[in-house]
Amino acid sequence: MIQTLLLISGLGMLTSILAGLRAPKVWLAGVLAGAAGAIGAAITILSTGGEWNSYNSAALGGEAIHLRLDALSALFLALVGLVGGAGAVYAGEYWSETAHPRSAAPGRVWWSVLLLCLGLVLLAANGLHFLIAWELFTLAAYFLVTLNRRSPEVRAAGWLYLTLSHLSALSLFAFFAIMAARTGSWELKPLLDHPELAPLFWLALAAFGLKAGMFPLHVWLPSAHANAPSHVSAILSGVTLKIGIYGLVRFSGWLPVPPSAGWVIATLGVASAVLGVAFALGQHDLKRLLAYHSVENIGIILIGLGFALVATQQGHAAWGRLALAGGLLHVWNHGLFKALLFFGAGSVLHATGTREMSRLGGLWRAMPWTAALFALGAVAISGLPPLNGFVSEWLVFLGLFDAAIAHGPAAWAAIPAIVLLGVTGALALACFAKVCGVVFLGAPRSAAAAQAHESGPGMRGAMLVLGAGCVAIGLLPLLFWPAVARAVAVWQPVWASPAAPVPLVALGSAHLALAALAVLAGVWLWRKLQRAGFKRALTWDCGFARPTARMQYTAGSFAGIITEWFAGVLRPVRHESRPEGAFPAAAHLAQHTPETVLEYFATPVGGAVQQLAVAFRRFQHGRVQSYLLYLLIGAAALAAMVFLGGNP
Amino acid sequence: MSLRLILDLIARLALWLLLAPLLPGIINKVKAWVAGRRGPPVLQLYYDLARLWQKHAVLSTLASPGFVIGPAVAWVALAGAALLMPLGPAGSALSFRGDMLLLIYLLALARFCTAWAAMETGSAFEGMGAAREVSFAVLAEATLITALLALCVQTESTSLVTMLAPAAGAGAVLLAAGLFTVLLAENCRVPFDDPNTHLELTMIHEAMVLDHSGPPLAVILHGAALKLLLFSLFLTEAVLPLGQLSTLAATGALVGGVLAVTVGVGLVESLLARLAFRRVPLLLTTAFLLCLFALLMAWKGGAE
Repeated sequence: MIQTLLLISGLGMLTSILAGLRAPKVWLAGVLAGAAGAIGAAITILSTGGEWNSYNSAALGGEAIHLRLDALSALFLALVGLVGGAGAVYAGEYWSETAHPRSAAPGRVWWSVLLLCLGLVLLAANGLHFLIAWELFTLAAYFLVTLNRRSPEVRAAGWLYLTLSHLSALSLFAFFAIMAARTGSWELKPLLDHPELAPLFWLALAAFGLKAGMFPLHVWLPSAHANAPSHVSAILSGVTLKIGIYGLVRFSGWLPVPPSAGWVIATLGVASAVLGVAFALGQHDLKRLLAYHSVENIGIILIGLGFALVATQQGHAAWGRLALAGGLLHVWNHGLFKALLFFGAGSVLHATGTREMSRLGGLWRAMPWTAALFALGAVAISGLPPLNGFVSEWLVFLGLFDAAIAHGPAAWAAIPAIVLLGVTGALALACFAKVCGVVFLGAPRSAAAAQAHESGPGMRGAMLVLGAGCVAIGLLPLLFWPAVARAVAVWQPVWASPAAPVPLVALGSAHLALAALAVLAGVWLWRKLQRAGFKRALTWDCGFARPTARMQYTAGSFAGIITEWFAGVLRPVRHESRPEGAFPAAAHLAQHTPETVLEYFATPVGGAVQQLAVAFRRFQHGRVQSYLLYLLIGAAALAAMVFLGGNP
Repeated sequence: MSLRLILDLIARLALWLLLAPLLPGIINKVKAWVAGRRGPPVLQLYYDLARLWQKHAVLSTLASPGFVIGPAVAWVALAGAALLMPLGPAGSALSFRGDMLLLIYLLALARFCTAWAAMETGSAFEGMGAAREVSFAVLAEATLITALLALCVQTESTSLVTMLAPAAGAGAVLLAAGLFTVLLAENCRVPFDDPNTHLELTMIHEAMVLDHSGPPLAVILHGAALKLLLFSLFLTEAVLPLGQLSTLAATGALVGGVLAVTVGVGLVESLLARLAFRRVPLLLTTAFLLCLFALLMAWKGGAE
């Protein structure tokens, strides 16, 4: 059954890679078949538990091909299938042949390569094959990010992504190579009886943390996600970041970890969550803002994983199970709503040609579908009931509360984590109130925004599917619990138990009632107004209509109170010329929040490395005499070592 | 879901709907009494709501249906939060582990919807009001979560009924002071906001609803009254040991506590001036620290 489904999936993806250049329809059919096969296989594993293995006689790189699918990898595979399929439908319209004649066809091929390699990373049960698939998906993602490579910003973002991805790949090479050297095989399997492998965790944390966009390794993420085409941003943010999480969860479950691992991950998670959303508040670029929210949500997932590790270390405390389940459910949730939000941002970009929020406004009139679906995503990402974001945050919260009540050493970490997670939620709400208000409500701030148009059925359909996913997990959390519980049981078999430890039925019914009543009340009040008849009048604002719609509150002002609190970290840059004199000439104010870690840390370090490389290059100049001198010095040094060191 | 539960919920909802608008009336009476005026009748808000409900509405030319749907959803969220709140001896209709988080996030949902409706008009004043509301709420929410954490640690439970039954223990005074400050901030009372101000630049909540009229405004005002009652109840139940009293005494203590909080709000409003905006985060941080100390005391109490 699973064999067949995965075979269909693989064949679909291969067909789509071959057909991508010439036949868009065949490509779409191939991708959808591939996605459906992957989702089917994942659902089968997630609903029955168990594990699927396939040993082939064929070998790659001298290693026999061994594929494995268990509940943990199935959880991620389902997400790859869903967002990959929806993104393909979206891309057909968003990055169409007519609008992008040069890059549409390669875009399709790289999309299929990316999906296929993501699937292989999840299925690979051999370190070497894991690395090959990992490298290939990084390259595919690079080519997707730089589809529109005429723009220098896109090239710079792609270059940064490629460089840092290879830093991650380098750590991963070291990780797998040392593991293979110690155990004598590239086979990936539980190795908990090798305590000497524990320090390898730090290599894995660097490699997977970089890929997941964990603070402070997130420096590549904002520019890559902002400058990529929106369907690519959606899959990068919704899915490929999660592959980093997959790596962390997988290998922290299979390998022994140092005692401090859980504390470090939890701390980094809290830092990512709070600082991610703080940086998001300072952004003016819609997609860059969404990219920073990925850092925040990765932080929430890491909090769940970190506390699960702490719980394991402290004798399998029951709250660890809740925290990890919340984190893993958040993997799905963030994949769904972040892809939805990036699709929404893509529709806005498609309709207006700008990502600058200060040039948008009033889009709900032209784009009611996009506005409504973006609002749904905004409610979900702010962790508000009755949608999916709340369910996973609630699980993480309950795990942390139980840890605090348990009065153990973990409580000292749980208390600040609870407060800061609450702060993160409130900050995310502030940020999305700003985004929705400035982009979709009020009056258009530019001609482009005034002439916007709704996107076509393909783009809307893709958004609808993801929105429906957000609603489904929110209203029927119990339906999705067994899948998450099985994934948790793979990570920590001690925690295997089918019953939900928390009243998900009560939460689900509360959510259902809330959703039904909210829809009812909203429709009823609107109908009442319509029946009674209402007047339309200008907004009362001490003279709103004149002189310009740019008198509206801006995104910068909206976030100003909060960004001031975080000014020490955000270091916003201000350029202003104040109006002076009785008849002031033109004045202006511009403010932007740079990527602080990149500008103040990564760039100087990169510069130093480059200077060192330049210095070393002086030795390579093409003069044979000098090369002979090097040889002589080398031979002399060796001779000196032999004489002074004595016989070995 | 049994018929009993549904009847219980309906009875509670009716109680909340009818009683909530009383509180602003009492506050205004207290303020008038301190100032030596006669003041509006205690039931003034009921008259206002009835009148607004029958009026026609005027909508901004820019507003989408969200301008009307937002307040409706916010009201549903507030009413839902109210239904989760246990009522002293009557307990709670719907109680489960973690319901306190649902309550906090329902308040957040109401905030999101109100801010959305405010941004609909494109008015700079309303944008300003919404920005202030969501920004100050960050600190208020941190305080509220810390207070809940203190109660959770104290009672070793995460459901509101058991959390609120005993007294808050050694940290009761700190917790009461912190929660009272949050009550003032979240309900836009002096010293955070002035419900009577007429200067748009200095308003928070009132600035957000400048363009609302007719039935939507009635819904917003009623929702605000619900929220005030919710916070007064929460404060009373957190501090008083209602679970250890007889039914009659507990009911009396509950009503007395809510009245005392309401009169307290009126007195604060009469005796204090509002703070400059720069000072608001400072006061909220103080409230947060008060709750944090209450948490530490609960922690020490539990360790012994």
